[in-house]
Amino acid sequence: MTGKRSLTTYGIAFLFILALNFFLPRMMPGNPLAAIYGDEALVAMTPALKAHLVARFALDQPLWQQFAAYISTLFRGDMGWSYFYNSPVLKVILGSLPWTLLVVGTSLVISTLLGIVLGIESGWRRGSKTDRALLTGLMSLNGFPDFFLGLVLLIVFGVLLGVAPLSGALTPYSGLSGLALVLDVLKHMALPVAALTAAYLAGGYLLTRNTMITVLKSPFMLTARAKGLSQRVLKYRHAGRNSMLPVLTMTGIWLGRVVTGALFVELVFAYPGVGQLTYQALLARDYPVIQGVFLMVAISVLVVNFAVDLLYPRLDPRVSYAR
Amino acid sequence: MTRVANLPLKLTVILMAIILLSLPLLPACSNGTAPASSQIDSYTIADSTGDWGYPSPYAHYSRGPGYIRMSFIFETLVWKNDTEFVPQLAYEWEYDAGDNSYTFKLQENVKWHDGADFTADDVVFTYNYTKEHPYQWVDNSIVKSTEAIDKYTVKLYLSKPYAPFFQDVAGAQPILPKHIWENVTVPEEFLTPEAVIGTGPYTLADYSQEHGTYLYKANDSYYLGKPAVREIRFVKVAAEMTPAALKEGSVDSASIPAEVVADIEAAGFTVITDPPSWNGKLTINHQKEPLSSKEFRQALAYAIDRQALVQVVFRGNAVAGSPGMLPPASVWYNPDTPQYQYDPDRAKQLIEGLGYSLEDSHFVKDGQPLKLSLIAAADYKDLGQFITQQLEQVGIDIDFQTLEAKTVDARVGAWDFDLSIYGHGGIFDPSILQRMTIGEGFNSARYTANAELTQLLNAQLTEMDTAKRKDMVFRIQELYAEDMPALTLYYPKSYWAHDGSLPLYYTMDGIAVGVPIPLNRMCFVD
Repeated sequence: MTGKRSLTTYGIAFLFILALNFFLPRMMPGNPLAAIYGDEALVAMTPALKAHLVARFALDQPLWQQFAAYISTLFRGDMGWSYFYNSPVLKVILGSLPWTLLVVGTSLVISTLLGIVLGIESGWRRGSKTDRALLTGLMSLNGFPDFFLGLVLLIVFGVLLGVAPLSGALTPYSGLSGLALVLDVLKHMALPVAALTAAYLAGGYLLTRNTMITVLKSPFMLTARAKGLSQRVLKYRHAGRNSMLPVLTMTGIWLGRVVTGALFVELVFAYPGVGQLTYQALLARDYPVIQGVFLMVAISVLVVNFAVDLLYPRLDPRVSYAR
Repeated sequence: MTRVANLPLKLTVILMAIILLSLPLLPACSNGTAPASSQIDSYTIADSTGDWGYPSPYAHYSRGPGYIRMSFIFETLVWKNDTEFVPQLAYEWEYDAGDNSYTFKLQENVKWHDGADFTADDVVFTYNYTKEHPYQWVDNSIVKSTEAIDKYTVKLYLSKPYAPFFQDVAGAQPILPKHIWENVTVPEEFLTPEAVIGTGPYTLADYSQEHGTYLYKANDSYYLGKPAVREIRFVKVAAEMTPAALKEGSVDSASIPAEVVADIEAAGFTVITDPPSWNGKLTINHQKEPLSSKEFRQALAYAIDRQALVQVVFRGNAVAGSPGMLPPASVWYNPDTPQYQYDPDRAKQLIEGLGYSLEDSHFVKDGQPLKLSLIAAADYKDLGQFITQQLEQVGIDIDFQTLEAKTVDARVGAWDFDLSIYGHGGIFDPSILQRMTIGEGFNSARYTANAELTQLLNAQLTEMDTAKRKDMVFRIQELYAEDMPALTLYYPKSYWAHDGSLPLYYTMDGIAVGVPIPLNRMCFVD
């Protein structure tokens, strides 16, 4: 097996990311402390705090020692200190993460499942009216960025019809609890989830449909048909399962982006997720938070890719032979 | 596929993530505040950022809206309304030039939110504590020592006369309860409910960082009157959705973009405009030829039509800049400040006077074309293009580049530029003239070539006689406009909509040190 080699590859990529994260702020013009914390923060910093930070980042030491210090603090779970939030970066990010996972996770699950089902149905009936309608509809939907769909939904359902809330993840200080609170949260996430689902849907659908068409032509499908299997079994168990591989890869890529995947949609709906946090951090030039989010995205991309690599041979044994 | 061939694919994926992260973001930001009068149950103020930190003096974020949220709970010795300084924790004060001290008589019926009495000891404690743990918004170094004369009288000795003492210190420093803070060694990490015990008209009932919401309840034993609103809510609403939220009634008060002012007024809201508080300026490298010549800098002022600039770039939502930095609406404004009204011919004459000649409508000297670089952050793209066009019309070649904001700051700081566009807030008290002309920060002009100007800038800070100080500030504006270390281009306007149930106003010279948000806590008290 190639597990070891693959781990090495991921290790190299991970180190590369860490190095990038470390060197970028230090390559910026001027004082590295200013690059890490922003000029404004430095003005307000007391000399004692400055000295503490210099020591913490080992800024008075040679570059390789600084890098070692950086790696060692990182492995202790310390992603840095946000001067703006006056709090550890990890804590700031973890506060926003659940809301993003809720919205992006829900839309990813819905759009992937729906995309696969629609793709299988569409591919099965290639050329039919349903197929053409689905293809045209989803292709046009695919042309719009998610935040645009979000804005349209928000203007129609929020502003014009007044049936959906205009912003946030829940009604502040409404005194709701229990089921009413859950309903309130669901109501607030409906539009963002709809916008993201619509934006993700076309990708999964198109991939499944295309693979489906190829798979349907393969000899094993003829055999299956000849065995007299029912249409449902043919469609889903034989053709469908084999059409899922590319979708899995794509979902994997998306999953890695979960953390920031909804950045624009979160902004449109003022939804309190990591995307929103990233945006505010950019406005405030809160570099530690930006770096923290960046690292988190990079790590999740790596982890998900690795997981997909592991999952692949199970779905399609041919992948291992190819190695 | 082999593993090796797979690596570039992974890197592609990683790069994609990087690119997605760095996509340009839609700029949108505003602030929010609340109103109230004769017992309103609840008043909701919206803001597109939401979270401004836990509203204790040491935990709120170092931006104006953070100070506002803290100011509903904590009070200062003196405060301001829309026209003057008014009593707050101190009801009377006196300046003694002899020993350079202020004596404050304190209100005697004030209780902290936990029921303890407020006394002179709390004031003495606060000024001592902030020496050890500086509060981000107030530089207390001018206060040499503090003394409690009796239970309700306190005396503050200054190390030297300091004209903006009320604006910068006494009217901005929140007073802390001694019995709570005396045991706090790391105030930034003190985030318990005790950290938000103040004397103000409201108490904090809830704060949520991720949702960016605050809930305040009325403090019914407030010593200056009954809070007009039972409950104040600060909520987060995207800037684009604020007009809809106002109309729908879920928000009572918020900053709005200029485009929707008429629409919001038609819906029955009161819209107020802030007095100029931001100085949008052309930064000039006066250390470098030909910009080191005062005549050349004046030519720039003649060449740029500031009236057209506010119409074209800001669609009228700004006021044309005065070359003396202070805006015409300021009480310190000198109406005789030279204005350099738009006059491209005069600009050309001035440049020709420096040995340049026009060839093919481009200025040339010794065979070298007159070429200047203009750098600015991407936010200033439209403005930069406008200025480029105007200067090229008189014959100056401009190489306009937008750069990352940080790079612009660094290059301006290191004098590695010709022209740049930047700005700063706080153009209220004339102390800003001193900070932005001879101060050391990168956004100061750092201009010390005129001895009279430098002397006056320093002298006005210690002049305690307002009339004399005003004379100095008038002269400063004339000298500043004449020497032109930087050119004020415009003062942007902002708009605030509210339902009219509370008499909201913009505080004189901004709240405390100069926060231009119309959420003065006194508007929330009957």
